Amino acid sequence: MTDASVDIDSTHDTVRIAVSGEIDLANAATVEHRLLGAVTNQMKAVSVDLSDLSYIDSAGLRVLFALGTRLEMLQIAFELVVPPGSLTRRAIELSGMASIAIVRPAPA
Amino acid sequence: MTSDQLRRIEAVTDAGLAHLEVEELYIELLDRVRELLSVDTAAVLLLGPSKRYVEAVAARGLEEEVRQGVRIPLGRGFAGRIAAQKQPVVIEHVSHSDVLNPILRDKGIRSLLGVPLLCGGELVGVLHVGTLTPRRFADADVQLLQLVADRVALAAQATSSKAERTAANVLQRSLLPSDLPIVPGLEFAARYVPGGNGRVGGDWYDVIHLPSGWLCIVVGDVVGCGLPAAVTMGRLRSTVYAYVLESHDPADLLTRLDRQLQYFQPDVMATALCAMVEPSHDRMLISSAGHPPPIAAMADRSTAFVTLRNDLPLGVDGSRGRSTSTVAFPPGAAVGFYTDGLVERRGISLDVGLDRLRRAMFAGPPDSVCARVMLQLIGGETVRDDVALLVLRRSDGPSHEPLDITEPAVPSSLRTIRNATRQWLTGVGAEPDEIGDVLVAVGEACTNVIEHAYGPRGGSVSVHLTVETPHVVATVCDTGRWRPAHGRNRGRGVLLMKGLADEVRIERKDTGTEVLIRKALAGEGWR
Repeated sequence: MTDASVDIDSTHDTVRIAVSGEIDLANAATVEHRLLGAVTNQMKAVSVDLSDLSYIDSAGLRVLFALGTRLEMLQIAFELVVPPGSLTRRAIELSGMASIAIVRPAPA
Repeated sequence: MTSDQLRRIEAVTDAGLAHLEVEELYIELLDRVRELLSVDTAAVLLLGPSKRYVEAVAARGLEEEVRQGVRIPLGRGFAGRIAAQKQPVVIEHVSHSDVLNPILRDKGIRSLLGVPLLCGGELVGVLHVGTLTPRRFADADVQLLQLVADRVALAAQATSSKAERTAANVLQRSLLPSDLPIVPGLEFAARYVPGGNGRVGGDWYDVIHLPSGWLCIVVGDVVGCGLPAAVTMGRLRSTVYAYVLESHDPADLLTRLDRQLQYFQPDVMATALCAMVEPSHDRMLISSAGHPPPIAAMADRSTAFVTLRNDLPLGVDGSRGRSTSTVAFPPGAAVGFYTDGLVERRGISLDVGLDRLRRAMFAGPPDSVCARVMLQLIGGETVRDDVALLVLRRSDGPSHEPLDITEPAVPSSLRTIRNATRQWLTGVGAEPDEIGDVLVAVGEACTNVIEHAYGPRGGSVSVHLTVETPHVVATVCDTGRWRPAHGRNRGRGVLLMKGLADEVRIERKDTGTEVLIRKALAGEGWR
């Protein structure tokens, strides 16, 4: 089974989520559930750090898009941290994720 | 001695009988006994493995005994009494209380004579004869029957030890891996030689390629020889398979083996060594349970025994901890795993054997390494103990051998396919960025197969990876028919594939769909 771990560090109005491991069709639903569960209605900003994620494909991107569209609707800022050397950078760039999230090389 | 007596003895000790198979020999001897003693029935019963009953194995005039697998408990009935007392028994007038076996009663047997089958004073079975008319057996009859019994006992003893040897041999052979796994970037070879006179022991080795990309190597040696050692070895080997998916820590695996042995086979001791090779192949984790250390050879021709803490053998004291050492495994290096039969010789110090091994070892193709080590350490000698040798080598430089993977079309296969693909791409010398791109492109094609190719019945997904310089070409095939994607945020997969690869071609055929992904590599170490 594909493994990903989701670490959540939240204050009253922001949450930083670090996702490590791999995301594919096998665990995408689990990861989605954890990500959506980490965001409350009181929040103003969500940051997802993918620095330690070693694999993501369209099943995983779909999760990020689902999160992004929800946050857009709720008017919560959405940031993705993808450092230059990271293994998922190419897939994130090609996916057009920038249209829905602020993609940064390091946390703001 | 009268000439008649002599003739009677020769009839049963005739050398011409020697070439007969054991069942034929029993029948022949029983027929001669029937004729010599003028009796109607004759039967051989052998002691069962539990030593609590004798069982009919050959009979004349009483064939039902064998067909029905008659078993007589020791101490009870006619045959049971002979077996328990190890003394001849004569019954002139058969009555119900003397005879347990209903077949003897139904046949209408009136008189019986039986003698024990003894081999070195140990009971092997019972031989008995019977008549349908009342008969008084003379001392000479008893002596003659005992002579035949000795002959039968020898044959029975010889066959049972031969059968045990054959069984142990077959078991051992069937338990050792017939094929070592194919892992890109690694090469293997192994040898197994049974000890003196073809006697197998409890030596074993195993190479298991795990879905996580890790490779597990186990070498072990169960103390003892013959069938019992081979059986224990088989059990330990199954235990390895049961636990190897749970943990990548060799100390943990050996601890579980130890626990299993302590509980289920408390009298058994075994040494074992477990090595786990990382998916990158850069390092291996090793734990040893009283087993001799592996021998390593580097590409620069240096050789050395791997330095390890040697923990207690399995089956000694399960409460002590076990340790794992991490050992570097650079490209071009070879490691030899073996059992002590390779280096131990009677009357020669172990250091001599170890030193010979160190000098024979080199970082070459594993088959050549095995050949050289066996030649230098065994040569023309017949070894007393059995010998197992397994050589693993990490390829030096890129390998361009194609790779084929076929997995069930279910989400959990994606990781397996990804790990194998990553390993293969590393092996052909692709750079990390290139590996990432190909992994996602192949992953997308496989995800499409899993999601869209088959209905609820399912199917499989095959990946073929090959090098067409300067490209790597991945072909992902299924035997189903893709249906359009359902739901929102779908259909991104094909776009992603096309963005990451230089060429993506999707061919829908009657037999299934084939996705071809081509990607040029530019990295160093390539070409």
